[in-house]
Amino acid sequence: MSALDELRPREISVLLRGEPERIAAWTGQWRVRRLALHVAVIIVGAGLYGAAMGWWRDPQQALYTALKFPFIILLTTAANALLNAMLAPLLGLNIPFRQSFSAILMSFVIAAAILGAFSPLMAFLVWNAPPMSSATPSESTYNFIKLTQVAVIAFAGITGNVRLFQLLSRLSGRRAVASRVLFAWLAGNLFLGSQLSWILRPFIGSPSLPVEFFRATALHGNFYENVFHSLLQILHQFD
Amino acid sequence: MNDQNPIPPIPPQVPPPIPPVMPVSGPRSLGDDPAERVAVPNVIVAIEAILRQPRRVMFQLRQPGAGRLIAAMVFVSVVCSLIYGVVAGTFSGGTQLWAAPIKIAVGLMISALICLPSLYIFTCLGGSQARLVEVSGLLAGLVMLTTILLIGFAPVAWIFSQSTESLAWMGTLHLIFWFIATCFGLRFLEAGFSHSNAKSLAGFRTWVVIFMLVALQMTTALRPILGTSKTFLPVEKKFFVAHWGDCLKAQDESSKSESR
Repeated sequence: MSALDELRPREISVLLRGEPERIAAWTGQWRVRRLALHVAVIIVGAGLYGAAMGWWRDPQQALYTALKFPFIILLTTAANALLNAMLAPLLGLNIPFRQSFSAILMSFVIAAAILGAFSPLMAFLVWNAPPMSSATPSESTYNFIKLTQVAVIAFAGITGNVRLFQLLSRLSGRRAVASRVLFAWLAGNLFLGSQLSWILRPFIGSPSLPVEFFRATALHGNFYENVFHSLLQILHQFD
Repeated sequence: MNDQNPIPPIPPQVPPPIPPVMPVSGPRSLGDDPAERVAVPNVIVAIEAILRQPRRVMFQLRQPGAGRLIAAMVFVSVVCSLIYGVVAGTFSGGTQLWAAPIKIAVGLMISALICLPSLYIFTCLGGSQARLVEVSGLLAGLVMLTTILLIGFAPVAWIFSQSTESLAWMGTLHLIFWFIATCFGLRFLEAGFSHSNAKSLAGFRTWVVIFMLVALQMTTALRPILGTSKTFLPVEKKFFVAHWGDCLKAQDESSKSESR
């Protein structure tokens, strides 16, 4: 069987089923074709979901979010790759750089495949909602769509991490080590991912603000500063 | 002569196993029965098979060339939903005689199409080994069985549509018929997945809820299907619960004005 025959889109179903033996074997091999397939799934899956997310505001916003959403995932994976590869052996899982990189990328592939599968449903939901731009949608509609987005993204993220945990348990042979490594990787990815999302906002868009790729204030402040200011404002209300 | 007779062979300590009447574990595997291996050559046989031998359809969906069977099931679904649509359209008559069939057929197909990717993802997450073609075929089977059963309900629906003017009542009746037919369709789908080594059906059950919600919303997105309107499609976007509430309110107001 040639290398080309071995690499099929059907591999994605193996990832979704979480077959640890096969996935563990894949992470040990560095195949450019497989890497290309995984990157393609992230671009298409997260891109389609991003398009459905931004479409409520405007078709142009849909295009922007379709580009930004996969970009955040790929950038987070790449930017944290070195740190994650160093953390794994320090926390008891002695795997090389390529294996930690492949494992994290595969968890994002699972999340992106789920997001891509939900994108027609999200598009249908948005299509049935009153337009955000022309009429003021009711508060309940806006909240319902926002909560649905959060639920779908959370489901995709959790599933990806459950599969990653299963893989780490298989590679390390100990659940405690797998938990430590997963927690460290998650913390790093969430920390960077939140800031990247802050810089690349908006995703859904706001009816009172223009459609744009970046906000003019994209690089003013950061996500954590903003959260801190919001907390301070809440606390001042009680003074 | 002290010749001893040769020692007879010692019989085995464990008695030979008795072949079980029923399989000990799990459902019988598809294709065990030779009748299940007979190909489904045309749409008539496909209809008969899904009603009488659903396992035959499931087995054939795993064979090469399952695409033809899927196409046949989609064709039957479209024809049956068009026929049921005409019956639904007789409630209002006029343009609804052609608009309702189109809306029901298109709505059902789009609902199935937009739910297919998530069905495949949920079945994979549940550990199922079913391929995308098989999942598509099982979904086509669900839709076909649903629409065939709707044809069975059609005469009852027609009689009621000729004897009442209440939109809310007719809408409820059609929803009940659709719900019963869909339950049978889902039973077929679940039986199909039970043969695909799925470890958990939790994802599948979540998908069932999503599919039901999408199909219900489709009835609102393509409204009116029973009543009349100046436009083919609605101008105002609504969620189905809000639409049902509005329909019931309008019904209540009209009955109050009639009683005055």
